[in-house]
Amino acid sequence: MSKGGYVAAAVAIWCGLLSAANGETYTPGKKVSKSFRGFVKPFLTNNCVDCHSGSDPEGNFSLEDLGPVDEVNADAWNRIWSQVTLKQMPPQDADQPEVVARLQFSDWIVAELSRVLADKGGFRAHLDPGKGNFVDHSLLFGPLPEEIKLQPTSSPARIWRLTPQEHITRLNELINTEPEYDPKRPGLRTHGDSVPTNHGGELKLYFGTDRIIRWQGGTVAYATAVKSVPAVLSSARNHGLKNYPDFYTVNSAEATQIADVAEDLIRYMAYGPLSIAEPYQITDDPNSIRDKMKGDLRGLPTSLVYSTKVVRPLTPVYDLMNEEGVTKEKIRAAVDYLFEAMTFRPPSQTELDAYVEIVQQSIAKIGKEDGVMLGLSSIFLDRDALFRPELVEYGQPDQYGRVMLQDWELGLAVNHALSYIKPDEQLRQAIVDGRMRTREDVKREVERMLADDSIRKPRVLQFFREYFDYDLGGYICKDNRALAETGAGGRDHYRSMFDATASTDRLIELILKEDKDVLKRLLTTDQVVATDRDNLYFGRKNTREEIAAAIALDRKKEAEREAELKAWKEAHPDEKPPASLTKKKDKVNHQITEAHLTGEKIFARVSRRSFGSGSMKSDRILATVPEGERLGILTHPSWLVSHSDAMDNHAIRRGRWVRERLLGGGIPDVPITVDAMLPDEPDHTLRERMRVTRETYCWTCHQKMDPLGLPFEMYNHGGIFRTTELNKPVDTTGEIIDSGDPQLDGEVANAIEMIEKIASSERAQQVFVRHAFRFWMGRNETLNDAPVLQDAYRAYKESGGSMKALLTSLLTSDAFLYRTRSGQTLANAN
Amino acid sequence: MLNRRRLLQSMATGAGAALGLPLIPQSLLAATTSSTPTTSDTTPKRVIFFMQNQGFDPATCVPKGMKNSGSLAGVELPEPISPLEPYKERLHIINGLHGKHTSPSHSAFFGALGGYRGGDGVPPSGATIDYELSKALPQTLLPHLCIGMDSIENMTTKPTLATLSASGAGQPIFMYSDPNQLYQMLYGSISSGDIRLQHEARSNVFDQIEKLAAAKGQTLPSGEQQRYGQYVRGFQDINGLRDRLSTVSGHLRKFAPEVDERYTKPEHETDWHDVLLDLGISALTSGITNTLTIGSGRGEIFGAWKGLGIDQQGHNLGHMKQPDNPIWIKIRQYNSRMLVRIMQALESVPEGSGTMMDNTLIVYTSNNADSQHTSGANWPVMLLGNLDGAFKTGCFTQLDGKRPINALYTSILRTAGVSCDRFNMSDKLAKQFDQGNGPLKEVLA
Repeated sequence: MSKGGYVAAAVAIWCGLLSAANGETYTPGKKVSKSFRGFVKPFLTNNCVDCHSGSDPEGNFSLEDLGPVDEVNADAWNRIWSQVTLKQMPPQDADQPEVVARLQFSDWIVAELSRVLADKGGFRAHLDPGKGNFVDHSLLFGPLPEEIKLQPTSSPARIWRLTPQEHITRLNELINTEPEYDPKRPGLRTHGDSVPTNHGGELKLYFGTDRIIRWQGGTVAYATAVKSVPAVLSSARNHGLKNYPDFYTVNSAEATQIADVAEDLIRYMAYGPLSIAEPYQITDDPNSIRDKMKGDLRGLPTSLVYSTKVVRPLTPVYDLMNEEGVTKEKIRAAVDYLFEAMTFRPPSQTELDAYVEIVQQSIAKIGKEDGVMLGLSSIFLDRDALFRPELVEYGQPDQYGRVMLQDWELGLAVNHALSYIKPDEQLRQAIVDGRMRTREDVKREVERMLADDSIRKPRVLQFFREYFDYDLGGYICKDNRALAETGAGGRDHYRSMFDATASTDRLIELILKEDKDVLKRLLTTDQVVATDRDNLYFGRKNTREEIAAAIALDRKKEAEREAELKAWKEAHPDEKPPASLTKKKDKVNHQITEAHLTGEKIFARVSRRSFGSGSMKSDRILATVPEGERLGILTHPSWLVSHSDAMDNHAIRRGRWVRERLLGGGIPDVPITVDAMLPDEPDHTLRERMRVTRETYCWTCHQKMDPLGLPFEMYNHGGIFRTTELNKPVDTTGEIIDSGDPQLDGEVANAIEMIEKIASSERAQQVFVRHAFRFWMGRNETLNDAPVLQDAYRAYKESGGSMKALLTSLLTSDAFLYRTRSGQTLANAN
Repeated sequence: MLNRRRLLQSMATGAGAALGLPLIPQSLLAATTSSTPTTSDTTPKRVIFFMQNQGFDPATCVPKGMKNSGSLAGVELPEPISPLEPYKERLHIINGLHGKHTSPSHSAFFGALGGYRGGDGVPPSGATIDYELSKALPQTLLPHLCIGMDSIENMTTKPTLATLSASGAGQPIFMYSDPNQLYQMLYGSISSGDIRLQHEARSNVFDQIEKLAAAKGQTLPSGEQQRYGQYVRGFQDINGLRDRLSTVSGHLRKFAPEVDERYTKPEHETDWHDVLLDLGISALTSGITNTLTIGSGRGEIFGAWKGLGIDQQGHNLGHMKQPDNPIWIKIRQYNSRMLVRIMQALESVPEGSGTMMDNTLIVYTSNNADSQHTSGANWPVMLLGNLDGAFKTGCFTQLDGKRPINALYTSILRTAGVSCDRFNMSDKLAKQFDQGNGPLKEVLA
């Protein structure tokens, strides 16, 4: 053990003894009954003020005159909270406060900031998923000091708004019939998969594109003509976990749009393409309507021809509109169907009556045709069509005030953990039969669903998207010139990035299919799911000399061709030269030596036809990456470009990712006084420009990120492997410091070495489990969740790294099953 | 229960009776409510906030050589704002306010109009000045309208976005970016016959939805009620506004812009920018609203102006210097032409003994202070109009960087009749960030 290690251990033992001697117990989540004067001020005085006082306080941050939390000093307290909670302060070489005192100090600040800022937008930093790591990893997975007494955990009762993708996938079920799962072609998009983004990265719902058999004009004209609606619900987050229950509501502008879209959908449910096209456009013989398709119709809805084959689901809404007149029974059937399609549960009698009445009133006012559409659209705005409730209104609280989810709430929670569409028949029947009330019930259904590949699990894939953040590359707006310099320039770049996202999705699914050492394999796989264009992205950036040589060679060949052509013409006057001599050589990208990716043909899930013949293609190959140049998802262009900016790599963001998602470290917010900007020096490397982060004030935090991000400088910001940067050998060195696992700490030569080092570590696996917990519980972990996390990690480890085992453990845990209805829940309080 | 909407509905009955009279915008005033200010002044007034993103470099608005406060009469306006040259007697250029407390680097977001610290993804910590003014000014049917201009892709995929305005802590106000949706909202009631029946049926459905939504919120835990309450309030807003607008449809018809192909088939995003401005102007001239917020770049660090021949877009625009930059000259001139269009439109509508413009103030600035990466030490602003004689015009004012943008907002609030010494700034905070008190004397007449 190092000297520092002995000191830390001694301090820990001493703290434990001291605390035990005081006999004071600490229960996470319980209000800290401590005063500023009696506890907080002395804490600051003993641990902080020595350095943070006087005429030249450390970090130019004086605590001498700091009073109790108020709106003026809230930023300062926020900063203190981060530094002390993350154990960045007091510095490692100083005496440390005892464990419980630190926890109480941290809790006190959160409680006070929450109180003081209650009418100023609130203090929610501690609830943000980006701050999940603020809970001490060693306390979650290691032994707890005796005086810390945990309480059985639960999550708050809540409503959980649908994500834009869940919502669109739910709507898609109403109007499109997706193909059934085909075990022989497992990569193809199938019923139950989410509606993916299209060729341009937009999330859109397309109407009946599977019936379009001809169109006029090119791809853009197709895209303009075809009926689609964009996602209505908003989502404000790009990086990290995106959908805790308390993030979102539905605003009035969104509600109006949902109502409008609903009428379009109901009309399509009733009439199919006839609701968006003229009757003559529906024919299996497009030639028979040539006279109608004359002239330039490009971009108009009338430029499309639909087949006569009915492929949309025919539902009670169709039945209602297919008959003359209107009966209450038909209306009830349509309401019943739509309500369950939108909320995933049958309506209560009261709900059924209310919506039937709305439809009847609308029909009375404006007739059947419009009245049905308008009246039924109200169901799309039911609370439970937009928010999934976990309210435990009917159960009995246990001695800790927790109520277990049951019946529809429990069934839909389990369903939502994996799926975006309504429960399959077996789960539905279990709910109806009263067999969704116990932990065993949940285990039974979870294991059944996990074992069945035909039950699609888009939410599992979504977790990996949010954990890795590899799906943003197409949205990173690149400077054209800077992108061209990477060798990946051109208009196809953004499209390639959306393709790369779908490819990485598929790679993850393949690794999940094997379900062994999932995290390690994701981090270290030598496989890649690739398109043709990936030969470029997985290629190598040529050096300046190589580029010059390639250009010279090209010129030489061109000169030779021209000379040959000239000689031929002289020898064959008045004759047309052969094409082999007249045709100029195809333009070659001299910037890159392409990879030669080969492998078996597979498929990736891409959107419905959105762009005519220019739509995304599902064809892929499963190939092996160039040896020594790539290792795992973090070295794939999808991840690298997602963590870049307009002009260059984003080493800080990459380093932050490694720090937070693999090492479990936390990074405080940028202080209010910092104008964070790297100098604009095109002749200097990113590493050189990042010298500004080495100033003492910045380095406290940046030392945790920058040395973890700079090893990825072995790739340029197009995600392409390189050996030189600005014509000098690229510096790819970095360092792992303060990882929490001394075995991991130390210098690394490049990203591959760093990844190999971390991928097998227990710590990275535990941090992965923490992120999975957050995703599926919809909240940050607290110390009370330690047993749940330890169980989940154990399940993962003992199963040889099985995601299924990890999920089963999490979804049968108290944190998933129990809710607390009190305003001040355990989770919120912590 | 007689809620605000029912109250307005009942008042609208009175407005309907007044429809036989020559319609002037005053007839759209919704009289007083409990939230109206302590003023008895019922002169219609309006304030427009035009927030260009990526910063407002003072060199692009302060006439060359002008170091001290003085008249603009004898000087030539810089090229980026040259379209305002004929209007410079109405112009007041202010340099030297600050927003250091708002964290404006990469946009202060809600903090730009709120005068408090903002940030990406950070919820508003209080109401913004535009919302407060919309409450304080003589009330109109739609007190506050926000429109946002961005790249066509962003406006299409995210037609509503909230980054600049808020009605309170944690309560963002969404801006409209799809002119088609905005048109429907403002002018859906200009209808008769079958369409009228449709309108009534829709009203009934939305009323019922509101009731159902409210009923399902009653059993929520307290923590969830606030968030779900926003959903229910959304219906109240929709229903309330529709009711109010429908009472004055005849009047609206005179002001509603003609819908043309720019709405449905925009060639560039600037087509939508232009028609969004038309709609915003029509909401002012028709008297529907008294406060208009225009977010050019929608409060973020993106935005595109391809219709002006600018190929570069988004974040890169903020990385370049603005002075003498042809790209920024084009954008700023485009902004200036928009300001001219607003002024011309308001001038064309008589009001009292003058025109609407006489009772109007336009505040042009940036949500990014003076540049994209900035500490906020300088926050240039241009004012146009004098709000019924309340503000000085035709001049340049150089301040010493010791008063925050909150002081300007305080000044406007004062002229709207609200007695307040500091907008969104406590005395404690002011000790650090405001060396003065009350309104900016330098800008008030």
